[in-house]
Amino acid sequence: MASLRERLEGVLKELKGVGDIEASAIVSRDGLLIAADISQSVNAEAFAAMTATMLGAAETATSELGKGIPDRVIVEGKEGKIIATGAGPKALLVVMTAPKANLGLVLLEMSKVSEKIRELLG
Amino acid sequence: MRLGIPVLDELLGRVPRGKTVTYSIDPEVEGDVFGMQTLYMNLEEGYECAYVTSTMSPESIRNRFKEFGWSVDDFKNFSIVDLYSRYVGAISKERYVVEDPTNLKEIDRIMSRAIEENDLIVFGSLSTILDVCGNETLDYFEEWKDLSKKCVIVSNFTVWPYPNEVLGRVMDLSNAVINIGGIHHRVVLGHYYGILKVDWTDVRGRAVLFKVIKPGGVRAYIPKILVTGPFNAGKTTFVHAISKEAISVDRLGTTVALDHGKVEYKGFTIDIFGTPGQERFDPILRVLGGEALGVILVVDSTKPETFPRAKQMLEKTTKFGLPYVIAANKQDQPKALKPDEIRRLMCLPDDVPIIPTVATEGKGVYEVLDALISLLIGGGYGKLEGKA
Ligand SMILES: Nc1nc2c(ncn2[C@@H]2O[C@H](COP(=O)(O)OP(=O)(O)OP(=O)(O)O)[C@@H](O)[C@H]2O)c(=O)[nH]1
Ligand SMILES: [Mg+2]
Repeated sequence: MASLRERLEGVLKELKGVGDIEASAIVSRDGLLIAADISQSVNAEAFAAMTATMLGAAETATSELGKGIPDRVIVEGKEGKIIATGAGPKALLVVMTAPKANLGLVLLEMSKVSEKIRELLG
Repeated sequence: MRLGIPVLDELLGRVPRGKTVTYSIDPEVEGDVFGMQTLYMNLEEGYECAYVTSTMSPESIRNRFKEFGWSVDDFKNFSIVDLYSRYVGAISKERYVVEDPTNLKEIDRIMSRAIEENDLIVFGSLSTILDVCGNETLDYFEEWKDLSKKCVIVSNFTVWPYPNEVLGRVMDLSNAVINIGGIHHRVVLGHYYGILKVDWTDVRGRAVLFKVIKPGGVRAYIPKILVTGPFNAGKTTFVHAISKEAISVDRLGTTVALDHGKVEYKGFTIDIFGTPGQERFDPILRVLGGEALGVILVVDSTKPETFPRAKQMLEKTTKFGLPYVIAANKQDQPKALKPDEIRRLMCLPDDVPIIPTVATEGKGVYEVLDALISLLIGGGYGKLEGKA
């Protein structure tokens, strides 16, 4: 049977190529890399830490305003987008896409995948 | 001879001749690199070393070594005991070739010669020989062990679900057993190793997480050390001073999100997380604080008025008795308080290391790391205390 890590990596592979997704990672809420499908040249550990801080800060900011917990954080730039969303209480899912990615499709796939991650990690 | 594995070398010291060491490997972990690393490190030391292959052709083994950046063929003192080629009917040009690798008598004849002629024998997979030749293998192994007065035998042993008496026997036949396993219950999916048994020195270290790097081999891995402390104490400077690579999210001269650094030190790979210092960012402290294995508290030694805040941050980040050390920073300033004064003002126990640093000049920063690692590894990393 595949190890948990292999199963998580398998889940990330499903995302590859969907609506211009270029890279993806599963990160613990506190900023540690759990699994990634990212090119070797990226400092994946630092990317993981930044993403967790980003989502954590966004969640704190909105809940301070009484607006509840946000569903996701989307960062848009000329070179691409970064989208981070919760995947259960322990982890979050983040993807990087090409600039013209079909956001609707990406979000739909992300919500399916984050549900799977939630089931795997509890 | 040494095992050539970080931390184990510090804890176990030199392996005396005549000893057998077993890497007992969980099937889920790719652990063959341990035996390979031990062999390669000793090749570099000039010892005569032979690698016993029973699962891969000599060529594949050489390529496997190359994956880690180890070109074994540059060494005249390297040889292979080939238990593979004849098994698949191939021709072999190795120094030691077993004509019939299913026949223990035949293996024994060649092994005896290899043991005679080498300082170190590494079994690439002892468990595979056991699978092919049956439990009698261990009787022969016992003979090889007795034969090897001048030689060290190191084995990779994959712990498939063997009967308990087989596993017990392997344990008994080993002077040291290193357990290599996987961690599943934490969010971080990691691999670890730890000393299960050793009979030439009195240590039992804690388990160490590790990463396998290509090239490079086995690195002890600390996924998170937190660097915290009051505003402007020098945390960001500290993280950059010890890291090979570091990034910070600073705005207007202060950290608004975090510092992240990668440290390569004494066989360790460490990911360092620096926190903001100002209170308005404390929610981030909560986000980043989880799963840290240790804390470095940086204080500005010239500012005792910030010590209560420092103490508060320490309490926020070390809730579960996490080990911590204090970096008494800015010691280049004339007003800087000495570690003892800081200890008194902060009411810290005597055994908490407080280390003077000048982060801007990189002074003392590695001493801080040494102190924390030695708390983390326990069992007296650095100075052997023989405590579990
Ligand atoms: N003289 C002296 N100055 C230092 C030393 N370490 C850091 N500094 C200076 O102190 C100032 C603050 O350093 P940082 O590393 O940004 O401090 P920090 O703790 O990360 O600050 P925040 O993130 O804002 O809480 C900078 O101007 C540093 O150059 C030191 O050892 N000696
Ligand atoms: Mg800072």
